[in-house]
Order: sequence, then C-alpha cells, then structure tokens
Amino acid sequence: MADLESRGIPTVGVATTEFIEAAAVQAKSLGTDPAYVFIPHPVQDRTDAELRALAEEHAERILGLLGRG
Amino acid sequence: MSGNATLPADGLIAVVKRDCPTCVLTAPVLAELAVRDTLAVFTQDDPTFPEIVADRIDDTALDASHRLRIEIVPTLIRMEAGREIARTYGWDRAEWERVARTDGIGAGLPASRPGCGARNVEPGILENLKVRFGETGITARRVELGRAEDEAEAMFERGWSDGLPLVAPTEERVLRMLQGTTRDPAEIIGLAPPDLAPATVEKIAINAVMAGCKPEYLPVVLATVEAVLDEPFAMHGVLATTMYVGPVLVVNGPVRQRIGMNALGNALGQGNRANATIGRAVQLVIRNVGGGRPREVDRATLGNPGKYTYCFAEDEEGSCWEPLSVERGLAPGVSAVTAFAGYGLQGVVDQKSRTPESLSRSFAECLKSIFNVKLAPACDAILVVCPEHERTFRDAGWSKRRLYEELYRLCEIPGEDLIAGAKGIAEGGPATLAGTTINKFRPGGLMVVRAGGGAGMFSGIIGGWAASGGRGSSPVTKEVRS
Amino acid sequence: MTVLLDPTSERSPTLRPRLARPERLDGLTIGLLDISKPRGDVFLDRLDEILTERQIAVRRYMKPTMTRPAPLALRQQIAAEVDVVIEGLAD
Repeated sequence: MADLESRGIPTVGVATTEFIEAAAVQAKSLGTDPAYVFIPHPVQDRTDAELRALAEEHAERILGLLGRG
Repeated sequence: MSGNATLPADGLIAVVKRDCPTCVLTAPVLAELAVRDTLAVFTQDDPTFPEIVADRIDDTALDASHRLRIEIVPTLIRMEAGREIARTYGWDRAEWERVARTDGIGAGLPASRPGCGARNVEPGILENLKVRFGETGITARRVELGRAEDEAEAMFERGWSDGLPLVAPTEERVLRMLQGTTRDPAEIIGLAPPDLAPATVEKIAINAVMAGCKPEYLPVVLATVEAVLDEPFAMHGVLATTMYVGPVLVVNGPVRQRIGMNALGNALGQGNRANATIGRAVQLVIRNVGGGRPREVDRATLGNPGKYTYCFAEDEEGSCWEPLSVERGLAPGVSAVTAFAGYGLQGVVDQKSRTPESLSRSFAECLKSIFNVKLAPACDAILVVCPEHERTFRDAGWSKRRLYEELYRLCEIPGEDLIAGAKGIAEGGPATLAGTTINKFRPGGLMVVRAGGGAGMFSGIIGGWAASGGRGSSPVTKEVRS
Repeated sequence: MTVLLDPTSERSPTLRPRLARPERLDGLTIGLLDISKPRGDVFLDRLDEILTERQIAVRRYMKPTMTRPAPLALRQQIAAEVDVVIEGLAD
C-alpha cells in the first residue's frame, strides 16, 4: 500500500479486526499513516451471502477514505 | 559499578585514562589516597587501569566524565554533601595535597607534570555526549524514522528533496554544522515564502546539512538566505513566477579561499563542493522551511537547471576590475554574497576580437537577444567575462565603468525594431515606439563579473526576471558574518 | 532507530502524510487489488458490482501469491491504469 501511495495512487486497505495490530506495527515501522477499514473477524468461514452483506455495509466508509466527495 | 551510577556525594573522585603518561605517573598516588580517604577512580579508556587501585569504575561510556565536565586527565575532585568543593587537574603535588587535604604524597614524583586532553571532550565524542544528554539546545522537532525505513528513502518520501539524495540531518551533524557560526541558533534570518515561516539559523543549518555543506560554509549560507529573504529580492515572486529564474549567487572576498570555492575552470559547473552545496542549501530552505515547491506555488513553465544550485565565486585575483561586492558598495576585502534572480547561461563566443570595441559589440549583440530580440527592456543580467576576454579590456586599460558605458550605449535599440510585427514577429511593443530608443536594460540592470578558466574565449550571460528593479526583484548583497 | 531533525517549518505532522484524496470518484478508475487470501474475492466482487452500478470504472488485479508483496511489474501496471486502489482482504 505504501508503495502504491508513493506512486501517486491513493489506497485504502480492507482487513479484518484481527489485522489491526499488525497494520499499526507495519505503519509505525514504515513511518506511514495508511487508510484502513476493519471488518469483523473472521471471514474465512462466512458464506458468500454474508461476505456480500459485509461489502455492502462497509462500502461507504471504504469509498469515503478514497475520495473526498 | 559503571560510570552511569550516581556520583559519590562525599570524598575524592579521580578521572584518568591509561593513554596518558601523567595518569600513569600518578597511579601510585591514587593508591596512597585510596588508603587515606574515600576515593572513586573513573577510567575513561581501559577499565583495568590503574591496576594498583582496587576499586576502579568503568567510564568508557564517558557519562561520569561528561557530568563532571572533565577536560584534562588526571582530574582530582573533592565532593562534600553532594557538592564539588575543590578540583585540580594534571599533576601538581601542592594542588593534590590541597584537594586531598593531606600531605606527603607522591614521593619520588616531580613537583608537577601537565595532564592530557580528556576523552570526553574530543571532537565527535563531545557532540555525541551532548546529544545523549539532551544538551544540544536544538529545538527543532525530532522526526523518528520507522525501523524498516531506509534513511535515504525516508527523506525522499517526506518530500524534503530537490530530487537528488540528501545527507540525513542527525542531531550530531546539525550540532557540528552550528559550530560553523557564532550566531544564535534561534536567530531568525528572515521569513521564507510562500508560508512566511521563520528561517532560523538552526533550520538553515538543518537544510545545509542535507545539502551536503561543511560547517565552515554555514556563514555563507546564512548570508545567502539573508540576501534572498531581503524584501528587495522579492523571493515570493521569484519563486512563484512562470519564468525561469531562481537565486543565482556570486561570492566575493576572502571567504572564497577559506572554504575552497571555485572561481576558475568550470566555475559555473559541477565538481566543487562549496559552490554546489551552498547554492543547494538555499533552495532547500525555500522548499522545506518556506514550503515553496515546483507545481505548487512555484509555477515555472520550464524552470532551469540552476534551480538545483547556482553559486560561484568571482575571480577577483585575476581581474583588473573591482569585485562585484565593491561595485555594489561594500568595502574591499569584505566577504559577501550577491543574490540575483537569474537563470541558465547563454554563451558568448568570440575568438577573433582583438579590440575592446569589437568584443563589446559581441557582448552587446548577445545581450540584446535575451528573452527575445523584440523585447526591451527585458530583464537584468549578469555578464560573466572569462579571463581571456577580460584580458582584452585590461590590455586596453578599460575600467569596469568604461565597459558599462560602452555596453549600455550598444544596447540602445531603435523603437522601430521593437514594434509588434517588426521582423515578421508578432511579439513586441506598441506602434508608438517608433522614433524612440529603448535600452535593453534598465539603469543598473547589468552586472559584470570575472570568472572561469584561463583557456577559452567563452564568456556567458545569466539572464534575469522580467520583473526587475522596483517592479520585481533587485539584486541584494549581504556581508558574510561568522 | 534513526532520529532526524525536521528541516521544515513544522506545520504538518511528522508521519509521512497520506496522499491527498481526489475530490470526487466519478470519472475515475478504481483498482481492486485482491491480495490472494481466501474469500477476499467474494468481498471484492460485491464492491465491484456496487461501483459499477454507480458508473465508476473498475479494474481487477490479483497478487500472484499472498505470501509475498505484489511484484514490481504489477504495481507499475496498477499505477499506470487506475487512479485509486482498494486492497483486500487481509486478516
């Protein structure tokens, strides 16, 4: 993600809450402030319908971190 | 026990190092004192020294030495109730007896012997200690790099760079840089546009480190920043313009030799650290302190390579003319920088002229084409006369004033030639120019300096900014102060 | 850990700032980068549909393996083809 931003591409990461700490550690060690949306863990055992619902639920927040308007 | 431990509140303290003949000489005296009194011996280099004293404290990290402000070894200190009440350094029997409050020590030793420099005040080591103890007095915000960040990449990523690599401004480096001046780090040299942020000596030093300057260049960098931030230079306009210009710096006076600047072969080119880094430092100050960056407030259409760095020394020694700084009012022998809003280099090739008249015409014809032959007045300019060309004027006995008179006369242009449409060129002025004569330059708009290598009949013109003089930027000269 | 002195006027935070976001997303192309963890594709597929319904152009990319960063060629391609990126799904 840091690489894409350094190429001029604003980026948002989507991850489960399990990843929050790892994201923070990575950000600190790179000195960056990446944009993330965290969805509830786990995802591996969710049905397709549940995953689609999660995408719908978080779409606005994700897009909100990508564009101001 | 390490040197980090609390210093003894009472009794004697000695600080020694093995690599000091006087410390070796006085080791037996320390052993004597250890019997008669409480004695803590701190060793700066080898914790096994002095063998003859059983209780030695390892101060190779130099913490205790720094806190005790040791300058010479051996040093003997008496403490009482946590306060130092007596100190002596080197070996002097009478002094040691005074501090130790005893007598009859050091039998067989000479009456006195000078000590040696303490390790903790060696250059490099002292800066590290000051940084470790937070004593540098530096107030700039600290930027912690991520553990996984590459130092060089980190500076690029934070937008500090002009596109070329930077030297990381660690606290040690900035501290050393600040030793290049006696000025207070908190002194504000000027307000850097476009943000009008204070350019303090400290902030300038940080950018000078990044540019690759040595501490001895800092006074020149400070004078340069002072010049470009002076109101008549109009730095905001120079930055924001769509035209080509950036600060061009000409250095005069003894500082040129002291810091090894280049006034000779390739003077306007690469390869000389002082030329290269002084010019770069001022650009970095505008970028980082002022917030002025290309394609933001800096709207230059093309810019010019001089916006990386454009700084050179005038060749005063070879010249028959007064230095630029003297022409501009400073006393001879005073080191100074002149800042000029300029760009690029237009060559003037003349390998045949034998007379000052003919050579002047070569100069003038080239000068008249700055910006466009159809535009006058165009801008200020610096004419850099190379040694082989300057010789022609010297041999004919032409003073600088004489040359200026000739050039101004030759730069008068018939108004007809400047009218829009004349010469089939749409650019130009109104029809009312007919019957008038317009000079390519405003009065005082042309400056002549001598620089360059001894071989080659190739002078150069540094063009300026259309907004010159009161309407825009005027050159500014500032004295270099240490 | 390296500590540097700040050469700027200190008016912005010391963290490397996030890139400025575009004003609006319409007219832009969004890249959806699947980092190759299982089930991420289902999530991204739904986002793809939502964006397409809004008439926002979408391009899809996939890391060849979840265990290593995206290869240079892929990153260069993405940077050349889209304006912004959503990357997922990490856990």
